[in-house]
Amino acid sequence: MTINIDNKNNDETTTDSASKEMESSRRNFIFGSVAAAGLTVAPGIMLYQTANARSLSDFSLKEGASSKVRWGMLVDTTKEVDWNKCVDACNKEHGLGNETNSRDEQKTQYIRVVEVKNKGTGYSMSLPVMCQHCESAPCVDVCPTGASMKRADGIVLVDRHRCIGCRYCMMACPYKARSFVHEVLTDQTENTPRGKGCVESCNMCVNRIDNGQEPACVEASDGAIIFGDLNDSESSISKILAKHGGKQIRADLKLNPGVFYQGI
Amino acid sequence: MWLHLNFNFSFNSSFVRKSLQRLPLFVVGLALFASFNTVSASQNGLGPEITIPESSGESCVLPSEQMRREHPDILKHDRIQTLREGLRAKADGSTLDGSLKQCVNCHAVKDESNKFVRIDNDQHFCVSCHKYAAVSIDCFQCHRDIPEGSGDFHALTNHKNINYSNVVPGTYNLTIKDMANIAPEVNSDDN
Amino acid sequence: MKKLHFLEVEGNSKGFYAFFALFGLISLIGMLAAYYMEHNGHWVTGMNNQIVWGTPHVFAIFLIVAASGALNVASISSVFAKTAYKPLARLSGMLAMALLSGGLVVLLLDLGRPDRLIVAMTKFNFVSIFTWNILLYTGFMGIVGVYLWTMMDRPYNNLTKKAGMAAFIWRLILTTGTGSIFGFLIAREAYDSALLAPMFIIMSFSFGLAFFLLVLMGSYKYTQRDLGDYIVNRLKNLLGVFVAAVFYFVVVYHLTNLYSADHRDITLFILTGGGLYTFLFWVVQIALGSLLPLVLLYGPTGKNRTMIGLACALIILGGFAQLYVIIIGGQAYPMHLFPGMEVTSSFYDGVVASYTPSLPEFLLGMGGVGITLLLVTVAVAAMKFLPASLADEVANPHSK
Ligand code: SF4
Ligand code: SF4
Repeated sequence: MTINIDNKNNDETTTDSASKEMESSRRNFIFGSVAAAGLTVAPGIMLYQTANARSLSDFSLKEGASSKVRWGMLVDTTKEVDWNKCVDACNKEHGLGNETNSRDEQKTQYIRVVEVKNKGTGYSMSLPVMCQHCESAPCVDVCPTGASMKRADGIVLVDRHRCIGCRYCMMACPYKARSFVHEVLTDQTENTPRGKGCVESCNMCVNRIDNGQEPACVEASDGAIIFGDLNDSESSISKILAKHGGKQIRADLKLNPGVFYQGI
Repeated sequence: MWLHLNFNFSFNSSFVRKSLQRLPLFVVGLALFASFNTVSASQNGLGPEITIPESSGESCVLPSEQMRREHPDILKHDRIQTLREGLRAKADGSTLDGSLKQCVNCHAVKDESNKFVRIDNDQHFCVSCHKYAAVSIDCFQCHRDIPEGSGDFHALTNHKNINYSNVVPGTYNLTIKDMANIAPEVNSDDN
Repeated sequence: MKKLHFLEVEGNSKGFYAFFALFGLISLIGMLAAYYMEHNGHWVTGMNNQIVWGTPHVFAIFLIVAASGALNVASISSVFAKTAYKPLARLSGMLAMALLSGGLVVLLLDLGRPDRLIVAMTKFNFVSIFTWNILLYTGFMGIVGVYLWTMMDRPYNNLTKKAGMAAFIWRLILTTGTGSIFGFLIAREAYDSALLAPMFIIMSFSFGLAFFLLVLMGSYKYTQRDLGDYIVNRLKNLLGVFVAAVFYFVVVYHLTNLYSADHRDITLFILTGGGLYTFLFWVVQIALGSLLPLVLLYGPTGKNRTMIGLACALIILGGFAQLYVIIIGGQAYPMHLFPGMEVTSSFYDGVVASYTPSLPEFLLGMGGVGITLLLVTVAVAAMKFLPASLADEVANPHSK
């Protein structure tokens, strides 16, 4: 960045560049390093100094969610695991279960344990089901405001700033993965803001992933759920999938979920 | 939203256009400025009183005057980056959190019994001003209103690396091009 | 044929105030119910995570569908140049707008965050059929507004045909759009049918005309204006055709679903094992809402105004039942996570979801109807929507 020190300012350009600079500083808030630290001596008049000469690349942010990555999970249902531990871990991580008025069928569940029984053979099994983070997610397609969204790295989540609570996404989701907040909530966890009138669902613990941690249910699963990058053929999840295979629930709907199961 | 309308009329002078685009911003700024003048006037016994709580750090991410005017935009911009784009790290790889929890952690106010006051209390940092200005916010219908745990402050972690000692006062004139370079166009969200 | 002459309803009359107060009260109660729901959150309603769209949506979709159908009469007059319907075109356009307003208010007030209407109006996801519906509804208001204007402002009368054509096309798209809200839900077997969109169009004809006829007869009765048999008979015969058409579509819809293995379960659920839904289907929708009205309209009672009114009311009732079965019954039937397997969970997988409508929901829905009627009441008093007389010698183009 070159800073052109020009003392023959005319008033207009000063104001203009000052406001530009204000804008730039605020854009760099938090993410950009504040190389040009602004101090205000009086409203509207800014004093600037660059700490060090920096090149523009210093201002560019480290990449956010990238489409090179596709996060996914592989659930091994053949392992003897108490899936309720995953449910508890999820509830704790996201502060779920703090409804006081809602009836049971109105309460939020990000992940649930589903018992599947073959009536013919009598064979039964149980597996955890959460948002399947579909590649062609119906919940994203139907959302009128773009609140239901898919991050570049394949994580599907609800931007509650935009959600108007129409519940169309709940109608559209084939996995019943979504819940609607039916009442005023207080005492949320700081990492998972959630409140009345918005729809929510498993967000793959996006806060943990961005922090370099695995999702809470994965951590609680004693290795029965593997988390990783489906796009990276060297990741352990891809290797296991390549070697032993894995199935998606309702693969016939061709939504290509990011959650795979073994033993279903 | 309406602050960021793109006027598609073709004016000859880009300055006129720029100023027009800024006009709403300017008006809001003026209104806010006026309201804060009222605040100081009130300390002379005119109008209702307002106490702006102290935060736990030395300085906010931007100077207070600027924060007062621009925090809504800053917050909107950041929530798009963290939530929708997944940007949570600085160029040097160190993690940063652009979420509201950082604001809350610094600005949380304690009452006489040394407990954090919640959003329904007039002393809450955000409420103290917003109530005064009669601007209602819905952030805390979803966001946690006080720090988590026992006042685990991460005071001003976001900019502790900034070396303020190098700041030399002076007025610098940046060319529009410089500015365009360091300020990539970001579409701010509404609501 | 005598000259047609439009006249406002006397606003400064007991009758006007009585209706104004009645419909105003219903609307007000609806708004209070909405406030109660929004203030507390949806836990005070019967809706839950399984039945996410409940009674308010039945009302809202009924009103929106009927709105499109109410425009029929105007379309027939302007687009198909049937002069007999011309005297009714204004009322038809106005009623369409009023019904749409009522429906949209209900839809809006049931949102989890109605305060964020501005988001819905500024952030569009064009992949979403919902977004298209928002645009279709707004456009409908605009186009029908212009259409009404060309009808009521003499210098612009020559544009009526064009505006009428635009409105006609627009409303067909609009109802297709409304039907498609359900048609695009791949996972819900109840809605996964290409027949749904055309069925919604024909439903709109029927519900809209029934509502129209009821409003027409009501307003002429209470203003003591003449309403001749000529016009009523034409309308009720047309209505009968529409009712029969809906009935035909329903039969085809369920028959095709019975033959497709994927949809047999849900169809059998609605037709035989669905408890309340089965009752609503056979008794209210089919018997009371389709067959009985046909008898009333075409049978020996066909000339009796009370019986025609009763038929209209039954058609509307049947319409509500039909939408209730489609919307709520369709959600109540469980989705198949593992087709062919027995599935259970804490989240009500594999079981028929329970839903009991709550009073506030119902009142909100009624509020939408109230708003519609309130708008109509005010409109007919404020502007020249209704002909001073529709006696046969005025209304019948062939009378001397
Ligand atoms: S499982 Fe449901 S909520 Fe999750 S991405 Fe797929 S459609 Fe959306
Ligand atoms: S409820 Fe929210 S996230 Fe779901 S479709 Fe509606 S606006 Fe989108």
